[in-house]
Amino acid sequence: MHVSGDDGAGTRVPAPSGRYPRGMARERLTPGSQTSLREANRERIVRAVQQRGSLTQVELAAVTGLSAASVSNIVKELSAAGVVTTTPTSRSGRRAQQVSLARNLGLVAGVHFGDRTLRVALADVTHRVVADQRLPLAPDHRPDVGLDRTALLLEEMLDALDTSRSELLGVGVGLPAPVDQRTGGVSGFGLLRGWDGVDVPAVLADRLGVEVHVDNDANLGALAEARLGAGQGHRHVAYVTVARGIGLGLVVDGGVVHGRGGAAGEIGHIRVVEGGPLCRCGNRGCLETVAGTGAVVDRLRRTHGHLAVRDVLFRAQQGDVECRAAVAEAGEALARGLAAVVAVAAPDVIVVGGELAAAGDALLGPVRATLPEHVLPTAAGPVEVVPAVLGSQAEVRGAVALALDAYRVGSPAGLGAGLEVTR
Amino acid sequence: MSEPVLSLRGITQAFGAVRALVDVDLDVHPREVVAVVGENGAGKTTLVRVMAGDLVPDAGEVVVDGVEVALTSPGVARQLGIATVYQDLALCQDLDVVENIFLGREPQRGLVLDEVAMEAEAQRLLAQLAARVPSVRVPLTQLSGGQRQAVAIARALLGEPRALVLDEPTASLGITQTAEVLSLIERIRDRGHGVVLVSHNMADVQAVADRVVVLRRGRLAGQFDADRVSYEEIIAAITGASAGPTPTRRSGR
Repeated sequence: MHVSGDDGAGTRVPAPSGRYPRGMARERLTPGSQTSLREANRERIVRAVQQRGSLTQVELAAVTGLSAASVSNIVKELSAAGVVTTTPTSRSGRRAQQVSLARNLGLVAGVHFGDRTLRVALADVTHRVVADQRLPLAPDHRPDVGLDRTALLLEEMLDALDTSRSELLGVGVGLPAPVDQRTGGVSGFGLLRGWDGVDVPAVLADRLGVEVHVDNDANLGALAEARLGAGQGHRHVAYVTVARGIGLGLVVDGGVVHGRGGAAGEIGHIRVVEGGPLCRCGNRGCLETVAGTGAVVDRLRRTHGHLAVRDVLFRAQQGDVECRAAVAEAGEALARGLAAVVAVAAPDVIVVGGELAAAGDALLGPVRATLPEHVLPTAAGPVEVVPAVLGSQAEVRGAVALALDAYRVGSPAGLGAGLEVTR
Repeated sequence: MSEPVLSLRGITQAFGAVRALVDVDLDVHPREVVAVVGENGAGKTTLVRVMAGDLVPDAGEVVVDGVEVALTSPGVARQLGIATVYQDLALCQDLDVVENIFLGREPQRGLVLDEVAMEAEAQRLLAQLAARVPSVRVPLTQLSGGQRQAVAIARALLGEPRALVLDEPTASLGITQTAEVLSLIERIRDRGHGVVLVSHNMADVQAVADRVVVLRRGRLAGQFDADRVSYEEIIAAITGASAGPTPTRRSGR
């Protein structure tokens, strides 16, 4: 298992995670001259601001490990070059300088292909969403139509904002299947009909003319919740999305764990029922066949007929006993899958998102109650299980973060030139 | 499952020698989107006209909330809680949003129109549709296709109809507007209305429908649970490539 997608310049080279603190691994990449050190520090600050949207100089010093004086100097420099802006604010009663990236650097797009919805968000470099749109999708939507519609939607959204495509800095895409980080294509078989072997980054980059980065949607949800949502302040964050499929993303010290072929976290296909129902992956009794929304809806079909997932949630909330039971049953099964995650990664917090998470405690209650029965009791107590703060936006916000992480502030012409002058 | 709000039984209609509809049954339940699909000339528009009260069929019965009714005019259909939005929307381009929503049904206070109540109600309707309309006092000419569709739907929702019939609501719309209209259909359904969605676009139909009904040459050619049917199966039913009629078809007549 190797960790990648970390916050620093080290992402290009697989870092030997675990043995060194992340910061050290990164520093070893820069030669020791005064200038390169300065440049590395500048990049660190830009990265830190980029990842968190905005933070104070004091927080910047804490996050980057640089002295308050160097932070102050570098921020001044970056501000003069138009890369960041500072606004006076206060923290615990003291005056402070809030640092954020200059909004006019451009826009990035986040795209999430859900089971039944396509979400597209346009955000500026401070993670502020300036436009978003959702499009309901057919149950087995195809890549050709889906990617085409994504490109059209993005173009229309840019038009509506009176911005041109040249202001688009990058696109992040989340897919509900494991994504091979080397190719950006779907690496799991049978999960998304028609998507196997489709070169998603190339198809979209061709249409939009910008860099496109693709990842698994649960990984992106994890990234967003870890940085901007319920996982803030935790080192090990697991995010599980419960929709038709069940996916899990693991963020360890800020970096998403991808694993071989991008398949880390595919807990939806752990067998939890011997000889259970046939799964779309080809095996039997997978977690998603008992805890996915398809299973919940199917369980209710005999008593309630056809229901959309939204109907189940609505009825559960209204106190429909069968609907609550079906959701609870999914929660108990989910806990068995999560037990494996707790055993392997022992996250500080498990954030639950996806369509079924909207059921709230009707789902989370049974998870919290069942999970301790399947894991080793430790002095740290049972793991916290909390709802996603970003709700249905988690994955698309993570896609924005992915695009932002891949975009290197200061590298394009213009910005880079600005920095040269102030050096 | 709840009782249907609207049922059509054995609807048959001929225009001269052309049999536009032959023995067509259709049920619409609350919180349900029923999509009616078929090729051009399959009878979709005739069916819409029957539900709108624009056309009294040669044979067959219409049941609303368990009571057999005669939809003899569009006014009657509306009173019974069946609202129809045609493809051309039937809106007045130079009137503003409020005037369009209330056209012909303006609330009066004495001899004057109650403008304040109208504006408040228009805003309430558009807000519950989460429709993005810049102002309720702009003329329709300043709105996009999707926004006009939202106004037409808001107009149809005035008076809380039980069933809403939408004829090709996404035809001639851009992708952003299509996205908004499809989200709108989901919200109308979730508020408890029954929706009949007549459309050519299979991607849109499969995105929001709970049930798909296929018409072919005026006859029912298939009825599917939208969760479980593939695009290919629907197309096969539309073109007549699939064998035999529908498994879920009601019999006994």
